[in-house]
Amino acid sequence: MIAPLVSGQEVVLLAVIAVLWLVLGWATPAFLTADSLRPLLIEVAPIALIGVGMTLVIVAAGIDVSVGSQMMVCGVITARLLVEAHVSLVVALVAAVAVGALMGAVNGVLIAWGRVHAIIITFGTLNLFQFVGRQIFGSRTVNGIPATLDVFGRGAAGQTLGVPHSFLLTAVIAGAVWWYLRQTPGGRHFYAIGGDALAAELAGIRVRRRVLLTYVVTGALVGVAAIFTIAKGTTTLDQSIGAGEELAVIAAVIIGGTSIMGGRGSVLGTILGALLVQTVSSGVTQLGWPSNLSDLFVGIFVIVAVGTDLLRQRARRRSR
Amino acid sequence: MTAAAPTTQTPGPGVPDNGSPPGAARRALRAVLTRRELLLVILLALVLVWMTALSYGGYLTGPYDPDYLSAALVDAVPLAMLALAELLVIVSGRGGIDLSIGAIVSLTGMVFGFSYGSWGWPLPAAVLLAIVVGGLLGAVNGVLVAWLGFPALITTLATYYAYKSLAIVVNDQKPISTPGIQALYSLTGAVEIPVVGHDIPNVPLGVFTFLVPAVVLVWLLLARTTYGRRLFAIGTNDVAATWSGVHVARTRLVAYVLAGVLAGVVAVYVTGQFASARPDAGTSGNGLALPAITIAVLGGVAITGGIGRVSGVLLAAVLITWLDAGILLLFEGNNGSQFQLLALGAVLVFCALLNAYTIRRYGGTR
Repeated sequence: MIAPLVSGQEVVLLAVIAVLWLVLGWATPAFLTADSLRPLLIEVAPIALIGVGMTLVIVAAGIDVSVGSQMMVCGVITARLLVEAHVSLVVALVAAVAVGALMGAVNGVLIAWGRVHAIIITFGTLNLFQFVGRQIFGSRTVNGIPATLDVFGRGAAGQTLGVPHSFLLTAVIAGAVWWYLRQTPGGRHFYAIGGDALAAELAGIRVRRRVLLTYVVTGALVGVAAIFTIAKGTTTLDQSIGAGEELAVIAAVIIGGTSIMGGRGSVLGTILGALLVQTVSSGVTQLGWPSNLSDLFVGIFVIVAVGTDLLRQRARRRSR
Repeated sequence: MTAAAPTTQTPGPGVPDNGSPPGAARRALRAVLTRRELLLVILLALVLVWMTALSYGGYLTGPYDPDYLSAALVDAVPLAMLALAELLVIVSGRGGIDLSIGAIVSLTGMVFGFSYGSWGWPLPAAVLLAIVVGGLLGAVNGVLVAWLGFPALITTLATYYAYKSLAIVVNDQKPISTPGIQALYSLTGAVEIPVVGHDIPNVPLGVFTFLVPAVVLVWLLLARTTYGRRLFAIGTNDVAATWSGVHVARTRLVAYVLAGVLAGVVAVYVTGQFASARPDAGTSGNGLALPAITIAVLGGVAITGGIGRVSGVLLAAVLITWLDAGILLLFEGNNGSQFQLLALGAVLVFCALLNAYTIRRYGGTR
């Protein structure tokens, strides 16, 4: 069974985002301009990029709530390498990805081989990674981050034809993963595991290795997202990096139509979900409402998304 | 952490352990693994002995003595009560969990702050309002999860978002600390226990006014009422429970409502503890939900539902509190709170692995 190119949920999401943009454009005329949309894309990039990995994790019926702490560790290591060792962009990128992948591997091994529910393990590693991150921070901020990462930053060096590089890279990676999930047997394995892990095992899929892979990929993408986050920030990095990131990412994936029970979902939906989450939070700010109110709307969107997923499941069961 | 850990490898997978010779060591291991209270008592003794030894050796920044331990129980009250809330929800099964519990504490605390601090309601009415609001917020989770079949994890994540946001917005990020609220600080004062009070340290008042009643009520509910049996029944196997005439949705809904009620009571306590109703009371840092879930899992509650005991949860809460209190003395300044994160995370992962192993080998804790 090959999934259709674009699912119903994605069309609905596109419509919702379009309506939101039109309403926001009507309410605050500055919204629908390049100067307003570009920062939006820069803010979306890390959420969407981690979301690509999280889609893999959730499609395989797992979850990873430790991505925020992972981002803190990747971020502080990269920032200190930049400041103290003056490393180049490539070295920083490799280091961040390697550190992220290592943390993902810790999660993956504990979940796949310890046979414990992913939420419990990643709740635990959330604390462990946060401990590691804070120890490396050493109760200080990292100051004087050089301009090495400007190619992903907010300035003119960070964009081509007006599109931010961080968003471009995210789109390329998302496109590759989207193709892999849809068109290759390896990609379909993740759906099989999420649908029924035991059946997948009996069908000859190496379930544990595949599950491990989802967390490693997520960790590696967190590394790249940490680079984006440092690049879009100031020359100072404080301990709040990554705080609450896991919620935004999981919300984006679920709003994007990926089923929390596993077995269904797409990377395209996740990108749209991330766009919607970020549109809501920038929209709330631009309308002059309290910025904390955006969490309320994101929560409601998640409930609605889960509700539609349940309705679809029931409809499918009835049609059988 | 346990001395017996290296011997766990003896029977290979698939070998029925009932037929193997029951050596004394193996029986002891089995007892420690399947009776969670036993393991917790051993761990608690280890922590106490280790910390006291460090204290006598002069490695701590302050004395780790009965007075300090007793004072530390102030923090055990909200943690233990929220862990009991998680116990109810997790036991109800089908992936039951309540991530929104900390946010319920924040939002209910603000409502309590308004009614008692700003509108001048009498204390009993304000407490009642807090309980009702907590129950209602829990009921939102319960209706979505139990009646509509939403997955608990993502639903309570979403309501966590929503409640947290409302709690912060409702008073424009400002805490409420009118004189009336500040007077509530007396809730956390220490009292001398009658009769034996001279020989043992004073105990925080909240232990008697909040924790003991909650523990007794939850224990009575689980162990001595038909509702408790129904809750364990739906958590173990909800299809079987349906066929034996249990109203699964209603039973599960009540578990979420009760969790909200407990969170509402905790909100009152936490408001007193901080002498102000803070919009981030249950959500600052990693929030209260995470330690509550950790304590529940450490206390032997199976994340798959149907298994869990009040005594285990209570012991686990005391263990975590006294471990945290010791760690705070072990390090200078900010470092202690960081090592608390390490301890909490390590304990959670270790316990989850241990629970999974116990269930595979012995079919679960008792």
